[in-house]
Order: sequence, then C-alpha cells, then structure tokens
Amino acid sequence: MRIRTLKPWFFLLPALVIYLFDIVGPSLYTLYLSFFKWNGVAPQKEFVGFSNYAYLLLNDTVFLHALKNNLLWTVGSVVVITTFALVLALMLNQKLAGRVFFRGMFYFPYVLSGIVVAMMWRWLYNPTQGFINGALEFVGLGAWALPWLADPRLALAAVFIAAVWQGVGQPMVLFLAGLQTIPVEAYEAATLDGVRPLQSLWHITLPLLRETSIIVLATTIISSMRVYDIIYAMTGGGPAESTQVLTSWMYYQTFRFANIGTGSAISWSIVLISLCVVIPYLYFTMKRTNA
Amino acid sequence: MKRKSILVLSLVLIGIAAMTAYGQKTQVTFWGLQAQMPSLQPIIDSFMKENPDIDVSPSGYGTDPIKEALKVAASSKSLPDLWFTWGGSLGSFYVENGLTLDLTKTAKDQGWAKVYNQAAIDLCTFGGKISGVPYHLAVMGVFYPKSMLAKLKLNPPATFDQLESELKVLKANGVTPLGFGSKFGWHTMRLTEQLIEHYAGPQKHTRLNMLTASWNDPAVVQAFQKLKEWSDKGYFPKGFVALDPTEAESQFYQGKCAFIIEGNWMDSALIQNSLDPTNFGMFKFPTDQKPVRMSSFAEMFQINGQTDQAKQEAALKLARFMTSAEVINTDVDNYGAPATLGVNASAKSPHVKPMSDEVNKGSFQITDQALPQEVAQRLFEAQDKVALGEWTPQRAAVELQNAADAFKQK
Repeated sequence: MRIRTLKPWFFLLPALVIYLFDIVGPSLYTLYLSFFKWNGVAPQKEFVGFSNYAYLLLNDTVFLHALKNNLLWTVGSVVVITTFALVLALMLNQKLAGRVFFRGMFYFPYVLSGIVVAMMWRWLYNPTQGFINGALEFVGLGAWALPWLADPRLALAAVFIAAVWQGVGQPMVLFLAGLQTIPVEAYEAATLDGVRPLQSLWHITLPLLRETSIIVLATTIISSMRVYDIIYAMTGGGPAESTQVLTSWMYYQTFRFANIGTGSAISWSIVLISLCVVIPYLYFTMKRTNA
Repeated sequence: MKRKSILVLSLVLIGIAAMTAYGQKTQVTFWGLQAQMPSLQPIIDSFMKENPDIDVSPSGYGTDPIKEALKVAASSKSLPDLWFTWGGSLGSFYVENGLTLDLTKTAKDQGWAKVYNQAAIDLCTFGGKISGVPYHLAVMGVFYPKSMLAKLKLNPPATFDQLESELKVLKANGVTPLGFGSKFGWHTMRLTEQLIEHYAGPQKHTRLNMLTASWNDPAVVQAFQKLKEWSDKGYFPKGFVALDPTEAESQFYQGKCAFIIEGNWMDSALIQNSLDPTNFGMFKFPTDQKPVRMSSFAEMFQINGQTDQAKQEAALKLARFMTSAEVINTDVDNYGAPATLGVNASAKSPHVKPMSDEVNKGSFQITDQALPQEVAQRLFEAQDKVALGEWTPQRAAVELQNAADAFKQK
C-alpha cells in the first residue's frame, strides 16, 4: 500500500529534480538577491531589505513607465492578438481552397525568432528607405510617412504591430484545435432551427471554446509580461526610454549598470504580477478537473 | 572477422591519440568585435601556425552585444580567456572586481613603453594597474565626402560659426548635414560632447566627466539648446532618435549625409563598403578652444585573471602577437588605428596617421567611457528627450546632475 502511494512520486522525481534545480532554485536565489545591493561579482553583498523595491516605486525614473507599457502590451495582446487569432481560426476552419497553405502562411511568422522579426520590421519602418513609407509616398500619402520608431507616441504601437504579425500564429493554431472538438451536429441542429451565423458563434462556438480560450488568454498574458527581444532589437527601449518594458529595464539594470539587486527586484515584480493571472487560471482548471 | 577487429581497434587508438593531442594543446577562448574579425582572423590563424600547442576559439559580437555578453559572463563566472574591451567605465568594471590579469610587471619587463603609444598605455591603466594590452588608440574626427563640399564650394570649417553656416548651406541644397543615429545614444553623444567642449571649455568639460563639476550648468544647457536647434532645423536624418548608427552610416556611404563623427577606423569601414578613403576628408570639430581637443579612447585586450597560468600566458602571447608591429604591417590597410609604435602608414588609410598624431596635441576621454554607465544612460535619454521636445535643455541639465548625485550616493 505504501509503495502504491509512493509510486507516482518515483515517476515524478526526475522531472521534479530538474524543475527544482533549474527553475525553483534560481528563482528563489533571485528573490534573495533582490534584498541586496550587489554588482554581480564582488565577494560581499550589502543587505538593504526592501530598499530596491522602494527605489523602483519611488525613485526610478523608468520603472513605472515600463510597468505601464507592459500593462498596455498585455491589454493589447489580449484584445488584438486573441481576437485576430480567433477570427483567423474561424475563417481557416471553413472548407476553403488553399486552406492548408493559408494556415501555414499565418503560422510561419511564429517560428521566426524575435530578433529576425525585429530586423525585418526595423527596415520596413525605416523613415527614408523603408517599404511602409515608400509605399505611402507612392500612393500619394506622403504626409503619413512618419518616423514610426522615433516618435514616442507611436513607437510602442509600431513595435506591437510587428509582435501581432509574429504572435498571432500560435493562438490561431490553439483555437483551430479547439474548433475541431466542437461537434458538427450542434451546428446542424442550430441551422435547422433557423439560427443565424452570428448567433451560432455566440451561443455555440464561443461557449464550447471556453477552455481553449482560457489557455490562450493565460499564455498570452504570461507571454506579454515577458516580452523583451522584439522591443530591445527594434528600439533598444527608446526613443527616450519610451518603449522600455520591465524585462528590458531589468536587463539594463542587471547587465548594463551591474545593479543585480535592482534587476532581481524587477524580475520578481514581473513574477508577482504574472501570479495574479496564473493562480486564478490554475484554480479554475483544477476546479474543472475535480468537477 | 580478425581483420575487422584490428581495423576497429586501430581507429579507436587513432581517436584516442587525436584526443590526447588535442587535450595537450592550450585552449584559449577569445571574444572580439565582429567588425574586427575580418582583420583579426588571419592574424589568429598565423598565430596558431606559429604556436601549434595553442588552439584559439574566437567569437565575434556586435558593439553593444559584447558589452552585455561580458557582463553576463562576469556574473556567471564564464568570462573567456581573452576579450576585447574599451577603456574607461566599460573596461574598469572587470579590473575593479579582480577579474583581469595585472599586466603592470609584464609591461615593465617587456618594455611596453617602447612598443605602445604612452597615451594608449595610460588609457589601459586603472587604479595604477596596467590591465589591458593596447590594441587601438581611437581618435574621433568629422568625416565628409570631398566632392560634396567641393560641389557646394565649401571648405572644412575652422570655426564653430563657419560650421553652422555650412550646415545651413548643406540643408538648403537637399543634403542631410549631420549623419547620426541615436538608437543606443552613443552615436549622437559624439556630437553632444563636442558641443559641451565648445561651450564649457576643456577644464570644465573634464571636471564634468569626472563628476567634480555640476552638470546643472549654463554651458550644458547651451549644448542641449544647440542640439535642439539643429534637430528642429532638420539637420539630422529623419527619425534619427530611433535610427541605428549603422543605418545613419549607410546614409553617409550613400552620399545622403555630409558630416559624421567617426574614429580613425573609418578608413577600414569605407574600404569594407567599397569606397575609397582618399575621396573623404576629415577635420577636427571646431570647438573654438585652444587647443582643439579630440575625443579619444583606447581599445584593449584584457586577460582573464581567474583562469589557469598556462591559459593566461597563451592569451598574453596571442594579444602581444595581434598587436605586434610586424603583424600589423602585413595588413596595415585593414587593421585600423594601432596603439603600437613603429607601424607603417597605410596608403589606403590616409587618415589614420594624421589623426593619431593629433591626439598628442590635446584629447579628452570619450564621454560614455568617462562617465559611469548610469549617468551615460541618462545623457542618452536627455539627448532624445531634448530633440523630441519632451525636456527643455534646462531640465536635461538638472536630470543629468540628479543622475550624477544618485551615482555618487550609491
């Protein structure tokens, strides 16, 4: 009986050991470092308690702006990327000619690295030699040929568009998978009852996609809190720190300024904010599983 | 069957022998700039031929990526055996934290004073310790296409007022006067520091960089006012605050920009872009000071102070080889501006020697190496925000002083 109780733990043990050493251990060490002032290599660390966190909230000139950018990015990701992905999934779930090709075409950007996407879009946005401004001037809309990455009011949105182009593929595939599980009979019965397409979407598709939607939303929110490479490569956090997000500012603090304690405090701020999404998500999925 | 067994055994023995031979070689890892690898790789290959007991593994990085990669490596105790770095606050971090080999005694024993430019040795010295093998001694000047100025009947400006009037003429003739990209801040900084030198003068400028004078100073305000004025007049490329320096340089190479501040590596860069350096001129930025000082910095190779002695000796041998006059003279056209004495002048790099000679008449350390990194970052932010109209020049000066105060408190 005892062996039976312990058996699942034996199977879990290898993965658990890796998880503890590679994720839990370093995370706890980062939390520990967030209470110190340290440059990463000096033998002595100076304990400062919550000073690093207080500094970020009260004195750091970039942290709150970076947090705001992250929240904007998250809201944008939830609204734009998931909606766009759902629309694409609904369209590509139909019996269309070239359906497989289009699925691949929309998924393809997702397999590119953030750096490659950033380099492509930097050149697209180049103010004098880029395709976007060139096309606008060609069609007589030269007044709209703006310095997209140089205007603090536009830069974050411009980078976000590149991120949407890259990021819509994965949630689209998840939604497509979810749509395959919806029984065709439900739609047939609705059609017989005279239900219109939009009503069918609202009363059949969306409710039956609920679990897929929760997975997509949770992963989108967590990814949006971690966004870094596309922003760093496209703007470096500029112009004038206007596109800094928490991860890029953490990178500057840790590896440019050698403020390991401050950088660790930023990283745990990201964790705490992400937990606000992860914990309800886990609670919901466990509740559904137990039910 | 017997023959097969003998064959397999032979192969295994050969493999073991090869691995043993490999294992007896001293392995040296070297991190350098990607842009310098075309010049350094053949030198490294020659070194390995002459030193068959040393195996070198070079890796090339971009300008900003190598700064970050070295910091990551320092934090994770995985620094290479030999690495390229700049002076000032970029290179001093590794020295201050005991990560580099102290070369003071080696320099004395090997007579470096007769081998390297003393200015370069001084710029490789931190806290009284020589902590790098001098590689380049860089000096910044204003480059321009000769044909462009000739066409507009302009001469290299000798005074600040003359410079301003030429900027106006260039703009009126459809040329972008100043080729700068501010994505990382340091490219535009090359202009900002010259403006500070012009308005503050050499002594105050030096004290500003040492944080012994207040940045909340009328001279600093004037420098930012001039930056704002030139930005508003459209003297910079469109969207320059987000432009990558390589994009700004590309516009210069295409003949769309007139003036760009670059170092004495520019001849190599022009050659790599299929341009003839003799078609380009260079002048010292006219700060109207006496002497007219040029921004300068050293590039060096630092050796890992925490690796084993065999690797340190091999790394030092490699660094000395890469900076020896005999080796430099075999490819002087592509080497850049050596810190080594007794090197032949390159016919294809007409600007290297004149610029290297000028540094002895007066120079100041380039700002992003002179200042702590946090203060330099605030300067970059101030440049952008003043150009964008988000900060007044007065506020920029105040914010810089705030950054200096915060650093001193730290």
